[in-house]
Amino acid sequence: MTGTAVFLQQLVNGLSLGAMYALLALGFTLVYGILELINFAHFNVFMVGAFVGLIVLQSFGLQGQTVLLHGAPLVLALLASLAVTMLASGVLGVLIERYTLRPMRNVRGPMAMITTIGVSYILFNLVLLLTNAQALNYPDPMPSVDYHLGGVTIRLKAVIIWVVAAVLMWGLNLFVRRSRLGKAMRAVAQDAEAARMMGVEVDQVVMIAFFAGSALAGAAGMIFGLYYNFTQYSIGYTAGLRAFTAAVLGGIGNVPGAMVGGLLIGLIETIGSQYIAAKWADVIIFSILIFTLVFRPAGLLGAQSPNRS
Amino acid sequence: MVLSRRNALRGAAGSVLLASASPIARAADKVYHLGITLPLTGADAEAAHLILHGAQLAIKLANQSGELGDIRLEPMILNNATATAGQYDPAQAATNARKLAGTRTVLANVGPEMSGSGKAMAPILSMASLATITPSSTAPDITSPTYAGEFDPGGKPIYFRTVTTDAYQGPNMANFYAEVLKAKSVYLLDDSGAYGVGLANAFEAQARKKGMKVLGRDRLDPKAADYSAVLTKIAATKPASLYYGGTMQAGVKLVKQSYQIIPHVIKGGGDGILSPEMMTAAGFPAAEGWYGTNASPHVVDDPKLANWVALYTKTYGVAPDDYAITAYDAALVAIAGIKAVQKAGKPLTAATVRDAIASVHVNGLQGPISFDKYGDMTSHIVAVFQFHQDKSAPLGDLNKQMRYVGVAPQH
Repeated sequence: MTGTAVFLQQLVNGLSLGAMYALLALGFTLVYGILELINFAHFNVFMVGAFVGLIVLQSFGLQGQTVLLHGAPLVLALLASLAVTMLASGVLGVLIERYTLRPMRNVRGPMAMITTIGVSYILFNLVLLLTNAQALNYPDPMPSVDYHLGGVTIRLKAVIIWVVAAVLMWGLNLFVRRSRLGKAMRAVAQDAEAARMMGVEVDQVVMIAFFAGSALAGAAGMIFGLYYNFTQYSIGYTAGLRAFTAAVLGGIGNVPGAMVGGLLIGLIETIGSQYIAAKWADVIIFSILIFTLVFRPAGLLGAQSPNRS
Repeated sequence: MVLSRRNALRGAAGSVLLASASPIARAADKVYHLGITLPLTGADAEAAHLILHGAQLAIKLANQSGELGDIRLEPMILNNATATAGQYDPAQAATNARKLAGTRTVLANVGPEMSGSGKAMAPILSMASLATITPSSTAPDITSPTYAGEFDPGGKPIYFRTVTTDAYQGPNMANFYAEVLKAKSVYLLDDSGAYGVGLANAFEAQARKKGMKVLGRDRLDPKAADYSAVLTKIAATKPASLYYGGTMQAGVKLVKQSYQIIPHVIKGGGDGILSPEMMTAAGFPAAEGWYGTNASPHVVDDPKLANWVALYTKTYGVAPDDYAITAYDAALVAIAGIKAVQKAGKPLTAATVRDAIASVHVNGLQGPISFDKYGDMTSHIVAVFQFHQDKSAPLGDLNKQMRYVGVAPQH
């Protein structure tokens, strides 16, 4: 491999990784944008999503490492699995909001954030105990196709991730900007009290934000499983932390910012691993984060948080 | 039947009485304990249970044979794993070591399985002069004189092993790479853990001595999921081989992704990858062709041990592995120590048993066992295996899904 090919290959690797971080970062940003709450439970909603996806795929008969379905039935089975996984994860997010966060909506201080850490640990330990801490093999139903372009290998799986992530992110952006509910969401984000006076159902809007963010985390979980071909109780930790960093880097509360941040963190990780060393990946990522925030405290695209006057 | 001192006294009352009273005499036997500390829940549970049964079987047979005279030995089984860690937990191992040290009837311990736990337990056991015999922990530091202040503050060796250490596991495998596989170059990875780093270090030093070209060395974050960046970097150096020091937490992802990115490179690791997860989580075809080692001879398939294997399988409903055998041997070492103290007429305490263990010679299932002055085995056999799918056997059956290649060269 030539130096240029290696560089381009790392760009390709970084884009896939970044797409995953971006999907996960959107959930942080949606909730923060509306409630100014860092939702640490999001880490493990993603992890649970990967397991839900595994169960759903298996119920469609997609098991093991062999390609059992082809063409339209495969695409339909994957889309149906994705939809069920997103629904289940979305509902989990709503339940978390309804039963653990809503009761302390008006409590000042870090209580709500600490609660999300608690919920995160409960999910983490439940899955750990249920799976006996074992890593599980994920079905690999997609045909193994590689495209070779001038020394760079692009796997079909990677292309699918980019497309699915782009569609989901574009859909969310459209939803937030164009739909009535999206408008309500932005109104609540700006001033929840004023929005309530204008007739916006604030509780409903918050619930929808949790649903959408968690559904995206679930999608990211299933995509993670299909791409890396395994899942384990601990997958939420590193991915979640980097996705959170991505959200802050892009400008927390800002939907396009989360996408940009996710892609950037993915690229920094792969390029850093190539030219410095993989063991320095975290040092590099977090140094860049601190450096960026020193000069642009609101993140690259500017933070958006509710006005608390 | 071997007459114990107490039974010999009773012998004066007549053999008929003795025979009829023997169940009562048994109940009155003095009970001592042999600790068994293993990570019995979580990620390490499966392997830990095979080890547990090995030690249990040795204790059971010793009690049945009457060789321990008027004492009965009972296992004191303590779990070294916690739910928070999801696997072995050194903090829990330390708590268990304190419990063993604080129980006067505990004469010795079998365990731990993991070196991480061993490092936490050793200083506590050292201060209590309580010997532990590990059937599988291979980090050289624990018994190295360089770290004696840290791991052996009591001054006398207490950490004995019925396996060799990574100081041989890594280098012998480097010899195997250079001499048997004829690999001219190698790229090294570890999983940031004490075991993985030490193993890769030991391999690297010997690989250089053997004239292999070390193309690079990097470290995997076991909690991260994506190793494609580091593997792309490795692919660009065009190595003949890859050596991985570490366990399956990073291993699962490494095996899967290296199959995609560097499929034709020779790949191997230590005993950390000889795990059922290699098949159930990493899976074939990714695991196909990977080499792994055990820090003990491969004897579980030896026809001479067929009866023992059958007895183990019948008693516990599961087939043993090589570390079940080293665990059985570890318990034999403890029992030999106890017998030596009895023979010398000394009081049975942890300290006297420790002194006896340091100089025992035991004919174990794996062969003759004795220890050097630091507690390490005097033989340094490392067995090499290669993963090869057997579609007729269950996927998680380690014995069927890998084949024994031979003993790694030792010089």
